[in-house]
Amino acid sequence: MTSFTITLANQGGAAFDVDRRKPLLQSLREQGVDLPYGCKYGGCITCAAKMISGKVDQKAQRALNNRQINNGYIILCVARPMSDCTLEVGVESHDKLYRNPFLDPLAAHELKADIATPLEAKK
Amino acid sequence: MTNHCCGPGYASPAEAMTAPREKLLYTIAIYTGTGIQKPDYLCTIDVDPESSTYSQVISRLQMPGIGDELHHSGWNACSSCHGDASMERKYLIVPGVRSSNLHIVDCGTDPRSPTLFKVIDGAEIKARTNLSAPHTVHCLGSDIIVSMLGDAQGNAPGGYLQLSKEFEVVGRWENSMGSIKFGYDFWYQPRHNVMVSSEWAAPNTFMPGFDLEEVGHLKYGREIHFWDFEKKEPKQTFYLGEDGLIPLEVRFHHNPDSSHGFVGAALSANIIHWWKDAAGDWQWEKIVDVGNEPHPEWPIPIPGVISVILLSMDDRYLYLCNWLHGDIRQYDISDPHDAKLTGQVWMGGLLGRAPEVNGVKVTGGPQMIQLSLDGKRLYVTTSLFSTWDNQFYPEIRTNGGCMLMVNCDTENGGMEIDPLFVVDFGKEPNGPSRCHETRYPGGDCTSDIWV
Repeated sequence: MTSFTITLANQGGAAFDVDRRKPLLQSLREQGVDLPYGCKYGGCITCAAKMISGKVDQKAQRALNNRQINNGYIILCVARPMSDCTLEVGVESHDKLYRNPFLDPLAAHELKADIATPLEAKK
Repeated sequence: MTNHCCGPGYASPAEAMTAPREKLLYTIAIYTGTGIQKPDYLCTIDVDPESSTYSQVISRLQMPGIGDELHHSGWNACSSCHGDASMERKYLIVPGVRSSNLHIVDCGTDPRSPTLFKVIDGAEIKARTNLSAPHTVHCLGSDIIVSMLGDAQGNAPGGYLQLSKEFEVVGRWENSMGSIKFGYDFWYQPRHNVMVSSEWAAPNTFMPGFDLEEVGHLKYGREIHFWDFEKKEPKQTFYLGEDGLIPLEVRFHHNPDSSHGFVGAALSANIIHWWKDAAGDWQWEKIVDVGNEPHPEWPIPIPGVISVILLSMDDRYLYLCNWLHGDIRQYDISDPHDAKLTGQVWMGGLLGRAPEVNGVKVTGGPQMIQLSLDGKRLYVTTSLFSTWDNQFYPEIRTNGGCMLMVNCDTENGGMEIDPLFVVDFGKEPNGPSRCHETRYPGGDCTSDIWV
C-alpha cells in the first residue's frame, strides 16, 4: 500500500489520499488544504495538529515534549503516515498545546525526549 | 547641522541627537501562530503629530508567504558607513525566524509605502551555510552580518551569516564559534576590536514555546561572549550563572570610545554591566536586580522577564521592559556602575496594574522598544514571540498587540505614557495581529554604531 486516507475532523470530515513517503504537511498542502507552518524541519510547532486516531512516524520532530505527544500532537511538516489517520488541524486544535509553565509544570517524564526520565514500565 | 557630504547616518551620537524628529516608523506584525492564514507584514506608521493620519498604520507590505514569524530587523547601512558617500540607508533586512527567509525591503524609494526588493530563500541559506533562524542584523560598514540561532536542523549554536552590500550570501562570517553553546543578539565596538554576543537557546528549544524545566537542563543560555572582532572568533566567555539566566539584548554605549556595555538577563530579570578595566581586562557586575512579584493566583512569584533593554543615544539612560510584570523602567546610568531608577510606567502585564491604556485593552506586556534619536519618545510594542505569547497571554489571539508611546524627560528623568498615541493591532484589516520590533527611516538607538 502506498497511500493512506487522512480525515480532517475539524474541516467537515474532508478526506485526502496521501503518499506514505511524504510529510503530511506537503501532501495536504499539495491538495489545497490551507495549513499553518513555519520552519519545515520539525522544530517550531507552528504546524502542530492533534491526532484523533491513527499512527505516524515523526522521529524527526524536535518541537514536542512528551506531554504534548501524549495529548496526541504531531508535527505535520515531518510526520509521515503509517496508517489511515483522523486529525484536527490548525490553531483550533491547539487547546492543549500551550500551557503557562509557571502554573502548570511538567513532570520529569513529560519533558522532551532527550531530557525526560522515563516512567517505570507498567504491567 | 547634519553634515551632508558623507554617507548614511551621523558623524557622532551627538550629531544623531540633533536630527529631525522621526515622522514614520516601520514595525513588523505577525499572523504566524495566530490562526489567521495570512503572511506577516511590515507596517508603516505615521508619527508626525501634524499629520491627519497620526498614530495610524498608513501602509502594509505583506511578505510573499505565510509562517515567517518576522521578529527583528536591521538597516543595510548605518552610521558605521557615514564616511562612505556611495552607501545609502535604503533597505531594511527583515528576517523570518521560523522560515529563515531574509526579506530585503526598499524603504528608500517611497518611505511611506515600502516595497519588497528581494527575498533570500531560507532553503538557500540552509543549503549554503548550514544555518537557520535569523535574528539580529547589523551592518559592518559595508557588509551585513546576521546572527543565526541554529544549524539547518534547528540545533544550537548556529553562527553568523554574512551578506554583501548587494544582498548576496557570502557565507559564514565567523572563523570559529569556539565553545559557544547558543546564539542570540550581538553588538560590536570596533575601537576596542570587540563584539559581544548573548544566548537564548536552540531554535528547537525556544521556537515551540518555553518549557521552564529546560532552563535547569541547561537548554537555555547563561553566558556572554567577547569576540576578537577582526579575527572573527570568540576570545573570552563570562559564565553569569543564576544572575544571568537567558541573557538577551546586548547594547554597547553609543560612544565609540567607551568599553561599557550592558545585557538584560531575561529570566533572572537582571541588568549585567561589563567594561574594560585599567589593566585592559574585561569585567562584569550586576547593576539592576528586578525582584519577583507575588501574584494572588500563582503558587510562585512572577519574574519580571526583561525582554529588552535600550540605551539613549547620549548613553545616559537605560530602558528595560519587564514583559511579565508589565512595567517599563528608566535608569540613569551616568555612572554605569550605579544605575538609578528615574522613571517607571505600566502597560498590560500579568500583575494587572494597567489592563487598559488609552482606551485599548493591552494584551501582553511592554516588549520591544525603540527610542527617538533625541531620547524623548519611546515607542513600545507588546508581543514577544508567537508561541510564548500563546503561553503567557493567550487572549492576544483575539485582542492582538498594540503600540504605545512614552514621553521621556531627558533633563530630570521620568516617563509618562502619551495619552494621544495608540495603534491597536487588534483592529487590523485581516484580523488581530501582533507587533514587535520598530525602526525609524533615519536610524535609531539600536541600529547605529560608530567605527
